[in-house]
Amino acid sequence: MQQLILFNIFNGLIVGAFYALMALGLSLILNLSGVINFAHGGFLALGAYLAYTLMPFVGFWGALLLAPFLTAGIGLVIERLMIRRLYGRDPLYSLLLTFGLAYILEDVARFIWGAQSLPYPVPAWLTRPLSSQYFFLTGYRLFMVLLVALAVSALFLILRHTRLGMRIRAGTLDLETVSALGVNVRVLRNLNFGLGIYLAGLAGVLAAGMLGLQPTIGTSLIMPSFVAIIVGGLGSLPGTLFGGLLIGIASGLTTVFFPSASEAIIYVMMGLVLLLRPRGLFGEEGRVQ
Amino acid sequence: MSLLRAEQVSCSFGSLKAVSGVSLSIAPGELRALIGANGAGKTTFFNLISGFLPPTGGAIIFDGIDITAVPAHRRVGMGIARTFQITEVFPDLSVRENLRIPVEVASGMARHAWLSRGKSAAVMERVDELLSLGGLADKAERLAGELSHGDQRAIEILMALALKPRLLLLDEPTAGMGDQETFDITELIRKLHREHALSILLVEHDMRVVFHLADRIMVMAEGVVLADGTPEQIAADERVQSAYLGQGDS
Amino acid sequence: MRWMRQNISTVLLWIVLLTMPFWMKAVGGYTELATRVVVMGLAAMALNFLLGFTGTLSFGHAAYFGIGAYGVGMTIKYLVPSTALGMVVGVISGTLAAALIGALIVRLRGVYFAMVTIAFGQVFYFIAFRWNSVTGGDDGLNGWQRQALKLGWTTLDIQTHDKTFYYFALTCFALSALAMALLLKSPFGRTLVAIRENERRARFLGINVERHLWLSFVISCAFVSVAGTLYALLNNFTDPRALRWDMSGNFVIMAVLGGMRSFWGPLIGAAIFVVLQDYVSSVTENWMSVVGLVFVLVVLFFPRGVLGLLRGRGKL
Repeated sequence: MQQLILFNIFNGLIVGAFYALMALGLSLILNLSGVINFAHGGFLALGAYLAYTLMPFVGFWGALLLAPFLTAGIGLVIERLMIRRLYGRDPLYSLLLTFGLAYILEDVARFIWGAQSLPYPVPAWLTRPLSSQYFFLTGYRLFMVLLVALAVSALFLILRHTRLGMRIRAGTLDLETVSALGVNVRVLRNLNFGLGIYLAGLAGVLAAGMLGLQPTIGTSLIMPSFVAIIVGGLGSLPGTLFGGLLIGIASGLTTVFFPSASEAIIYVMMGLVLLLRPRGLFGEEGRVQ
Repeated sequence: MSLLRAEQVSCSFGSLKAVSGVSLSIAPGELRALIGANGAGKTTFFNLISGFLPPTGGAIIFDGIDITAVPAHRRVGMGIARTFQITEVFPDLSVRENLRIPVEVASGMARHAWLSRGKSAAVMERVDELLSLGGLADKAERLAGELSHGDQRAIEILMALALKPRLLLLDEPTAGMGDQETFDITELIRKLHREHALSILLVEHDMRVVFHLADRIMVMAEGVVLADGTPEQIAADERVQSAYLGQGDS
Repeated sequence: MRWMRQNISTVLLWIVLLTMPFWMKAVGGYTELATRVVVMGLAAMALNFLLGFTGTLSFGHAAYFGIGAYGVGMTIKYLVPSTALGMVVGVISGTLAAALIGALIVRLRGVYFAMVTIAFGQVFYFIAFRWNSVTGGDDGLNGWQRQALKLGWTTLDIQTHDKTFYYFALTCFALSALAMALLLKSPFGRTLVAIRENERRARFLGINVERHLWLSFVISCAFVSVAGTLYALLNNFTDPRALRWDMSGNFVIMAVLGGMRSFWGPLIGAAIFVVLQDYVSSVTENWMSVVGLVFVLVVLFFPRGVLGLLRGRGKL
């Protein structure tokens, strides 16, 4: 029993790490630009498929390194060409746009790579379990958690210590002032978007190794990211991180006792948070309206 | 008995004490003015009375009832109506439509899904009354957003009036207006005060308007009350002179 | 006759709607397509009650659409083979769900409100998907059919006659549209427009904004669930796709495409969208990309929609 609980908590942690990684990218874009990027799942899938295509040429590690950057690049172009035009307008339009992009991305993936599941080859030494007693601690799962931890730490370091990061943080609080201080807000939004998409692409590559590839891989992961943001707190990145981990672990724990409810639990938690603290656990006052 | 009584009201934003221990009373039928330099806390105090902000200390009593925790829309039902410093009408609706909404709300029809012909006619009659009071009858069908600043201000005041308030809160009604418009608005306010016996709390920068209209004036500075009295007393008060009046008028 | 002149477009519209099954075939369509236009039109108009008239962004309306659909299907399949009862169950379920969820989310605004509506939409999709013993899961709810309507003096065979069902759907549509129109023209409807135009002002005019938003949400979802029941009845089938994010998105794009600020706009948008989707999916497998492209193009170049453009100026 103890093993089962541990297994599921660890599993939940991995899942939560994913949710957090994706949710952080979503949150970045939402906080600075007020855009709900519904196409985030599409970019995740794109990252996974690009990695798959690159792998024969650059190997597993090359794909892991390059694919997220490529995805981010595509994201930068899309932001520049389409999303940028909608900033001044009602958020309805940017949401509709990203909806449309989600359709297109899913269909393009299906068109180029086919509708059936594709396996994503992972180096053998990574998939070996690390200990016979805790068989579930395969190298790959540990690797994923470590990589997510690395990415998240890198993100927070960027936000705290680089100029870009500080501008993003300031811009999230008060874009007008930042602009008045001479920062090119359009470039800032563009780079911020790219950063968010990078995280989506990275999540995609990691997910591929665990789940394999299908065109719908993105849309199944995007909803928990929404919930992570709602639970963790609107406008707060640490909140989003916490939210993702929390719902992941909750989901893992529920699997032990009520296996069929393990997916539903995240929505129950969302309902509870909305009832008791609408702005989320770490949300800022005033962000909600 | 006073109509409105604010007792030691405070409002802080973190460590910033926007309003600190301010007490004010308004007698029925009185026109009170609230003046002070920018940042003195006038608008914050105003927001506290209208229910836009909750106070961090003190109490607000309206007609004997403690309304400190009562939400904004409910205070309207109790008889407090306000205008905003930046004119907030419904720009894409006609003047008539703008006025129709508060008239219907005030008549308790806000949630009515259907209106009998009789009631509908009564509403329209009241709207016409308000239109002629403000001199806007000929502009009734025009979109509110297209009218001049002065006219929009008048619409706002009329909308507040449509709510049948006992206390009218006017937030810098002459802000950004030229002489003629200022005169028109001042006359409208005076009419409301004299002919309709409305109690009014007025925040203003324009000293001519203040001294022309007010029964009593309260001066605020840095979140506290500096002086409170009749226009003559205030004009003669040395502290007020140096702190505020001496800085020139708007 | 002045009444006729003022409402000439509405009169024309109804002439078109009333005669559609007869000329539909001539232009390469079929009766079922016409019915689908009416059903989706109702859904889009119901969404627009909230979106275009109250100014509230809901991207999760498919949830209530789907609840209506499953409600009628499950009633006919498991309870009583009665179309009328099934519809009642479907609409009440959808309305109840909206009342509960609406109460939960009415304090939120803007993008956050939209996010939460999306999330709740997904909750119901998930339920329909997982609860396969009852709902049929991914395969959908089949093995049932719309039942003929016994009206006391006659029986309407909506089961086998496409045209009869079309007129039945059109009647439901007409009644719903009438109800919505009356509501929008009432004092209550005016408070919704006030909230859309300037929420803060509306609040300071004494309007209980949260309560009115909740009411608008419930009304909007109630009529969308009516559309949902008709959708299931039309297909004699429903599946989780009726509850998915893309269905919600479709409702919104129909409203925007036709013109959010006009009453009939969403119907026009639905007509264009449904016909387009029907045509494209018969021509290519990649119709999803085309639909997505429509979204993108409308948003970038055509945000005021057909009727918005025809009316000339007006705020977005």
